[in-house]
Amino acid sequence: MKKSLLRFCAAGAVLLATLVHAAAADSKLIVAMLTKSKGNAYFISCKAGADKAAQELGIQLLFDGPTDSNAAKQNEIVENWITLGVDVIAVAAENKEGISTALRKAQKQGIKVLTYDADAMADARAFFVNQATPQGIGQTLMDEAARLVGEEGEFAMIVGSLTAANQREWQKHVEARLKEKFPKMKLVAVRPCDDLKDKAQSEATALLSANPKLKLIMAICSPGVPGAAEAVKQAGLTGKVKVMGLGLPNENKRYVHAGVTDSVILWNTGDLGYLTIYAGVALAKDELKKGAKSFKAGSLGTFALEGDNILLGKPFIFNQGNIDRFDF
Amino acid sequence: MSPAPHAPTLANTPRRDWRAGLTRHEMLLLYVLIAEWLFFYFAGTSTNRRGVIVGFGTWDRQFDILRHSCEIGLLALALTPVIITAGIDLSVGSLLGLCAILFGKLWHDAGLSIPVAMGLTLGIGALAGALNAVLITALRLPPLIVTLGTYSLFRGLAEAITRGSITYTDFPENFLFIGQERWLGLPTQAWIFFSVALAMGLLLHRTTFGRAFRTLGLAPEGALYAGLPVERRLALVYVLAGLIAAIAAIIYTARLGQAKADAGTGYELFAITAVVLGGTSIFGGTGTIPGTLLGVAAIAVLKNGLACLPVVMRLNAAEEMSGLLTGALLLVALSASVLPKILSHLRPRRHTAPQP
Repeated sequence: MKKSLLRFCAAGAVLLATLVHAAAADSKLIVAMLTKSKGNAYFISCKAGADKAAQELGIQLLFDGPTDSNAAKQNEIVENWITLGVDVIAVAAENKEGISTALRKAQKQGIKVLTYDADAMADARAFFVNQATPQGIGQTLMDEAARLVGEEGEFAMIVGSLTAANQREWQKHVEARLKEKFPKMKLVAVRPCDDLKDKAQSEATALLSANPKLKLIMAICSPGVPGAAEAVKQAGLTGKVKVMGLGLPNENKRYVHAGVTDSVILWNTGDLGYLTIYAGVALAKDELKKGAKSFKAGSLGTFALEGDNILLGKPFIFNQGNIDRFDF
Repeated sequence: MSPAPHAPTLANTPRRDWRAGLTRHEMLLLYVLIAEWLFFYFAGTSTNRRGVIVGFGTWDRQFDILRHSCEIGLLALALTPVIITAGIDLSVGSLLGLCAILFGKLWHDAGLSIPVAMGLTLGIGALAGALNAVLITALRLPPLIVTLGTYSLFRGLAEAITRGSITYTDFPENFLFIGQERWLGLPTQAWIFFSVALAMGLLLHRTTFGRAFRTLGLAPEGALYAGLPVERRLALVYVLAGLIAAIAAIIYTARLGQAKADAGTGYELFAITAVVLGGTSIFGGTGTIPGTLLGVAAIAVLKNGLACLPVVMRLNAAEEMSGLLTGALLLVALSASVLPKILSHLRPRRHTAPQP
């Protein structure tokens, strides 16, 4: 009785397996794209671009990630892809060192590895699709600020913290651009907001009352932009003091439509996904090699390389005209 | 060797068949495991574009499954005696996180050598388990509430110590060997896992000491009148759980090469699922280590096998599917194990019914 049950289970399993297996057979190139967290709107918008590229190139795209930002799960997913024998793995690393052990293992098995959005250790991947260089961000911020106020007048900055490395870097490039190109503009204050919207709002309110001639507030941390916008709105200075900065479209839409915030600067996430897939496929086909100076990615045209970084190029400016097309 | 005089007669029945060592529920689970494995072997293995065999039916994949199940497996081993005594320990996952970052801190910040840091971490784990034990036995608070408290306490402590942002990395190669390499053919940590399993199996099934855990779960008052040191025994299972959680923390750190405060988040629930799936009654009194091992294996094979199925891959839904099916497996297995009882109640009535 027991033996027959075992045989029944085994036969059933094998039969079912044959059915599932028959539906498989596919010999397309497989590119596996790992996100920091699957439900994050930022990465979903990356996927839209990646899907488009996958369709154009006729490859199979696997898109997965932890449901929460969990470094351990990222490793498990990569290890799974290794045994599935995918051709390319593209990763947005949650933890630089942690993921690198799994990526090195993938490279050892002959899988091509590249990173996008957040890099791993340099020896664990061939290329990093770099969405924005500090210089590109700094210049775009300053140029856009100058455009908004007609290249003259006082402005203030709100930063995440006075010590964070990336913030310092961006600020440095903003100031360099200011000195080089816009002599009639003056940076009167730089205030930290500790990456909190409330703090950004109170700092902006203080800036407004201390600097009556202020023309513009530039926030370079994402909670800073809506924070500053709220302060300007409540002070009744909408339109008189411009607000702009680095941030995500969704948290700024309200203020952009109300005319408080003029420009939100980030990169085009769809393009980031698109470029990543094109680069991954080129890598698998040996068309993209170390030392290349430029790279052509389908309908987006040619991108420059800086060492092993593929540069997405100039940041993207979201404003009243285009912000509704983006959802992240 | 003659059988120990104090051993109950049931355990002394001669072993004619290996199956005699397993309960009805465990046999059922074994069949499920074999069916699962065969299914994934045939459905999840394929040849890729480069002509290499990939997927479930590769040694690499089998070793990965073993590697990935060691930490949750250890926690399940730790929880088996806890649940057998009609208790629960929700804090083991958080304790794993706390031990992981303390281990990292002891090594990285305090400059201790890896073996010393390991030893201290095991001590800390046992100590944290002792905290649970004291609250449960001395203050007689319900285990569910106590460990719900320490569940938050340990995780909160881990986050406070690292301020939620510090990650310890750059561990030496010979430490990472524990988590990432193979030793004598198997993933290194599997040897640790099997050793702990053997030790727990011997403790629970081959010592009077361990057998008493069942009595504690079934009839705590009876155990007291029988002269068992109830509180000391009960305290021991929680200290043991803490100690094993610390072992799991070290393995986790070695596998990922990093110690972060979110290590082991949610692992306690996977471990409890494995224990219950393995036939341990959540009300205490019954349960075995082989059952728990089968439970861990059934979940691990399901989770890893699903990720190998081309259909699931194309949907990019391996994680969601495995959550869904693990839940379904648990419910089906539990129902299946009580079904024979219900059927045997029904059967006599059917037989006595008058024939037309």
